[in-house]
Amino acid sequence: MIPDILNILISGIFYASILFLVSAGLQLVFGVQKIFNLACGSFYALGAYTGVSFIVAAQSLGLPPILSLIPLLLAGFSLFFIGPIIERGLLKFIYGRDDHFQLLLTFAIVLMFEDVIKFVWGTSPQLITKVYQAYGQIDILGVTFPVYNLIVILSSLIFAGLIGYMLARTKFGRIIRATADNREVSEALGVNMKMVNVKVFTLGTVLGTLGGALVIPATAAITEMGVDLIVLAFAVVVIGGLGSMKGAFFGAMIVGVLRSISVATYPELELLIIYLIVIGVLVYKPEGIFGGTGT
Amino acid sequence: MEKTRRDFVKLVGGAALGAGAILASRSKAGAQAKTPKGVPSEPVKIGVITLLQGTGALLGVPGLRGAEIWLEKTNAAGGILGRKVEFYQEEETVPRETVEKFRKLTLQNKVDVVVGLISTGNGLAVGPVAEELGQLWLAWDATTQKGVEETMLKPKYVFRAPDNEWDAIAGVLMTAKHYPNIKTVAGINNDYSYGRDCWETYVAALKEYLPNVRFVLDLWPKLGETEFTSHIAAIKKANPDLLMCSFWGGDNAIFFKQAAGAGLFQKMKGNFIAAGMSYFTLKKEFTPPGIVMGFNCYYFQALDTWPLGKWFVKRHLEKYKEYPGAECDNAYFTLEAYKAAIEKLYAVLGRWPTKEEIALTLPGIQVPSISGYRGFSEDNRAIPDCYVGLSTHKNPFDFVTIERVEIFPPHMTQKPTGMKLHDWIKSWKKT
Amino acid sequence: MLSFMAIVLFILVLPRFGFQYASYLMLTFFGYGVAVLGWNLLFGYTGLLSFGHALFFAVGAYTLAFLMNKFSIFHMEAILLITVIISGALAALVGAICIRYTRVYFGMLTLAFNMLFYSFLLKFYYITGGDEGMNVSRPYLLGIDFLGIPKMQFLTGTYYYYAWAVLVIATLIMYGIVSSPFGHCLKAIRDNPEKATYLGIDIKRYRWYAFIISGIYTAVGGVLVAPVVGLVDPSMAYWTHSGTFVFMALLGGFVNFLGPLLGAVLYIFLQDTIMSLLYYWRFVFGAMLAFIVIAAPGGITGFIGSLMNKEETGV
Repeated sequence: MIPDILNILISGIFYASILFLVSAGLQLVFGVQKIFNLACGSFYALGAYTGVSFIVAAQSLGLPPILSLIPLLLAGFSLFFIGPIIERGLLKFIYGRDDHFQLLLTFAIVLMFEDVIKFVWGTSPQLITKVYQAYGQIDILGVTFPVYNLIVILSSLIFAGLIGYMLARTKFGRIIRATADNREVSEALGVNMKMVNVKVFTLGTVLGTLGGALVIPATAAITEMGVDLIVLAFAVVVIGGLGSMKGAFFGAMIVGVLRSISVATYPELELLIIYLIVIGVLVYKPEGIFGGTGT
Repeated sequence: MEKTRRDFVKLVGGAALGAGAILASRSKAGAQAKTPKGVPSEPVKIGVITLLQGTGALLGVPGLRGAEIWLEKTNAAGGILGRKVEFYQEEETVPRETVEKFRKLTLQNKVDVVVGLISTGNGLAVGPVAEELGQLWLAWDATTQKGVEETMLKPKYVFRAPDNEWDAIAGVLMTAKHYPNIKTVAGINNDYSYGRDCWETYVAALKEYLPNVRFVLDLWPKLGETEFTSHIAAIKKANPDLLMCSFWGGDNAIFFKQAAGAGLFQKMKGNFIAAGMSYFTLKKEFTPPGIVMGFNCYYFQALDTWPLGKWFVKRHLEKYKEYPGAECDNAYFTLEAYKAAIEKLYAVLGRWPTKEEIALTLPGIQVPSISGYRGFSEDNRAIPDCYVGLSTHKNPFDFVTIERVEIFPPHMTQKPTGMKLHDWIKSWKKT
Repeated sequence: MLSFMAIVLFILVLPRFGFQYASYLMLTFFGYGVAVLGWNLLFGYTGLLSFGHALFFAVGAYTLAFLMNKFSIFHMEAILLITVIISGALAALVGAICIRYTRVYFGMLTLAFNMLFYSFLLKFYYITGGDEGMNVSRPYLLGIDFLGIPKMQFLTGTYYYYAWAVLVIATLIMYGIVSSPFGHCLKAIRDNPEKATYLGIDIKRYRWYAFIISGIYTAVGGVLVAPVVGLVDPSMAYWTHSGTFVFMALLGGFVNFLGPLLGAVLYIFLQDTIMSLLYYWRFVFGAMLAFIVIAAPGGITGFIGSLMNKEETGV
C-alpha cells in the first residue's frame, strides 16, 4: 500500500516539477507585463532540443555522463538571448495596446517557433543516452526510483527557492512585485520599465528553457511538446492564480499529482479532470487559489 | 511496324514479371531515346501527401524518403516506360486541409495517381473523395479497422494499407510461442483508434491460444505523451507477467528509458508490437533484450540476403545520414506497384493505361520492395509479410535489432477478404 | 456599394467558368465566413476575445454528422434549425459562465471549454467516433436529394449556391443586429463598460446575448463546412483551430463589418497557396500574424481605410 502511494506521489511530483518551471516563467511575465505568454511551451521545447545538442556535443568531447547536469544547465541558460530578441524585437511594440494583441502576438510566436525548431533539428524525435542511466536508481521504502527524477525535483525546488528569495529579498524582486501591483505608480517612482520588461521576460524565458533542458534525459524531444505543454501550463496558472509564484508551485503540484492518481485509477479521466478543475476554479475563484495581483 | 508487332506478341506471351523484366531493360535503353509507341512523352505526375510535422512525422518523413529514393532510382533508369516521373508534394495535416490538397492535386495539378497519407482520420476523409473523383490513391498507412467499408462498399480506386490488427496478431503468435507460461497481461496503448484496435485484437486473439491468461490492467496515455512515470508506477503495482504495447513513435524510446529507470523489465516480459517503426531510437542502454518486437514488414538487417533492401539502406544512410524508418517500405512498394501495373498493362495493350485499367490490375500484383516481395489483395489491401522477432543487443549498432525473426505471411496475420475480424479469430483451428 | 454587387456577382458565376478547385475552396469560405462573422460579433463589437470558438464550429459539424448518421435526417434546413437550437443552448450555458469575466480570463475560459469538448470528442469514441471521426454524406437541399449527380458537380453546383445563399442571409441578419440598438449597446459596452452601466445597460445580459448569437453563427459555419470535407473529426475542436478564426478576423480587419469575410477568403486562398509552396508555411503565417498585430491591427480593411482617410485629409 505504502509503496503504491509513494510511487504515485513521486511520479506526480516529478511531473509537477517540470510544470512548475515552465509555469513560473509564465507567472513572472504575466505578473509584471500582464502578458499571457503562449510561447512558454515553445521555450520549453527549444530548451529540450538545445539540451540534446549540448549533451551530444559534451559526450563527443568525452564528458562523463554523471556531469551531464552542467551542459544541461548551460543549454537552458544559454538561450537567454531569445528573451531580449522577442521582447525588444516584437513585444515592445504592443505594450500600450489592448492586452488582446499581446496574447495574439505570443500566439504568432508559437507558430513561428514550430518551424524554427523543425528547421534546426528536423522532425525525428531527439533523445540522449547514457545520462539517465548514469545517475542510477535508488530504493526508498520498497520502491525503485531513478535518481535523475529526484534530481529534477530537487532542482525545481532549488529554483523555486531562488525565485522566492529573489522576489522577497532583492531589489529586483521588490521592483517586480511593485510593478506587478501597480505599474503606473512604479513608473512614476522612477523605475526603468524598459529594463524591467526585458529582464523579466528573459527570466521567464530561461525558466522555460531550463525546464525543457532538465527534463530531456528522462524523455525525448518531439515536435509537439511545446504546443501540448501550453494547455497544461495554462491549467497550472489558472488553478494557482495568475501572477502568483506560490500559485505556480501549488498549481503544478495539484495538476501533477492529480494526473498521477488518475492514471493509476481512472485513466480515461486523465485529461478531462484537469479541464474540469480549471473550469471549476475559474468559476468559483477566478483569481485562483493564491490569486490577486501579488506574486 | 511489323517488327514492333512481333515484339509485342512476344511480350504478351510472357508472364507479368517476365514482361516487367524485359520492359525494364527496354526502358533503360529508351532512357536517351523518346518514349515507346503509345506512351505520351510528358512526365508522369505523382501526387505525394504525407505528414511532416508532429508525432506522425516519424512515419511520414521516412515514407517521403522512401518515395524520393524510388524516384531517383526510377528516373535514373529512364522512368516509367521512358516517361520521367515528377512528384507533386503536399503536406498532410487535418482532414479539411488534406481533402483540399487531394482535390487540388487531382483537379488543378492533374496528377495521375496520389500516394501517401498516414493519419487514419485523413484516410477516412480522402477515401470517398478518391472514389468520387476516380482518382487512384495508394495509401502508405492511414490504417483503420473501420475501413473504407463503412463509407464505400467496394473500393475501386482506393488501395489501403493493412488493417490495424495485423501487428497485434503477429504479436500474439510470438507471445504464444515464446512465452506460453504467462498468467497475467497488462496493456499500455495510445488512446485512439489504432491503440484500441490493437489491444482489443490482442486480447481476443491471445485468449484463443492461452485461454487462462488474465488481463489485469489497461492504460491509455494520449498519443504524444512524454511522461510515463505514473503509468510505470501503475504497471509495477499490477505486476503482470507480460506488458503489451502498441506505441509506434518516439514514445517507445521514452517509455523504455523511464521504465529502465524504474527497473520495470527485470522480470516482466514485453510485447511491443509496433516498436520497429522507430527502431533507431531504441538504444541498447535502455531497451532490454528478449522483448517481442514487431517490425511491420520491414527489417533491414534480415535483408542481408535481399539485395534491394541492402542497397536501399546504404543509399538512405548516404543521402539522409540516418537509418530508414519502417514506412519507407510502404512508400516504395506503392510506387513500385504502380509502375509494375503500368508496365504489365502496356505489354498487353500497347499504350499507356487508364486509371480504371490500373485499378483493376493492381490487386494481385506482386513487386519487389525493400522488405521483399509484396502485393495487394483482391480487395485492394496491401498484404505484406510481417517481420517479428525478439530484441537483441548482438549487433554493431547502438540500438537494438531483432533476432529469431519470424516472417508471417499475410494469411496468418490479416483477415481474409470479406470476413470480419472477430469472426476470423473465432474460426481459428487449434492444432 | 457597386463594388459589393460586383463581388457578389463574381462569386455567383465563378463555378460557371470552370474554376473547379477555386470554387471548391470558396465552399469552405462560405462556412468560415458565417463562423467568423459570429466570432467578430464578440470581438469587434463587444470587445471579448474568444480563443475557444472551435467548440461551436465542431458542435455544428458534429450535429450534422449525428443527425445524418444516427437519425437519418438529411434535410439541410432541419439540420440547420436543430443546430441553431442546440448551439444556442450550449452557448447560453457556456456563455453564462464565460461572460462574467473579461479580457484574459474570458479568453482562458473559452479555451478551457473548447479543450474540454475536444477531450470529450476524443474520449467518448463510441459515440463520436474518436480520432477517426464520422463520415458525412450529402445533405438534401430544399427537400431534394441530389444523389444522382456526381459529388464534385453537386458541391460546386447546387451546394455552392445554397451555401452562398446561407452566407448572404447570415450576413444580412448580422448587419441588422449590429446596426440595431442592441448592436449599439454592444459597442458602448466594448468602449466603456462603466459608462454603459451608468447609462442603464445590463452589461452581463447583453454580453450573454452576443455570446449566444456568436456561438450559433459559428456552429452554422461548421454545418456548412462539414459536407464539403466529408468527415467531422476532433481536429475541428482543437484550440489552434480557434486561432484560425482570430487570424481571419484580424487579417481582414475586425473593425470593419465585412473585414472578417475578407479575412476568411484571403486566409483560405493564402493558406492553400503557401502550404503547397513552402515547407515552413507555419513560420510565414506566424510572421504574418505578428506583422498584423504590430503594424496593422486594423487588418486589410483598416489599412485601406487609413489610406482613404489620408487622402481625404490630404495628410
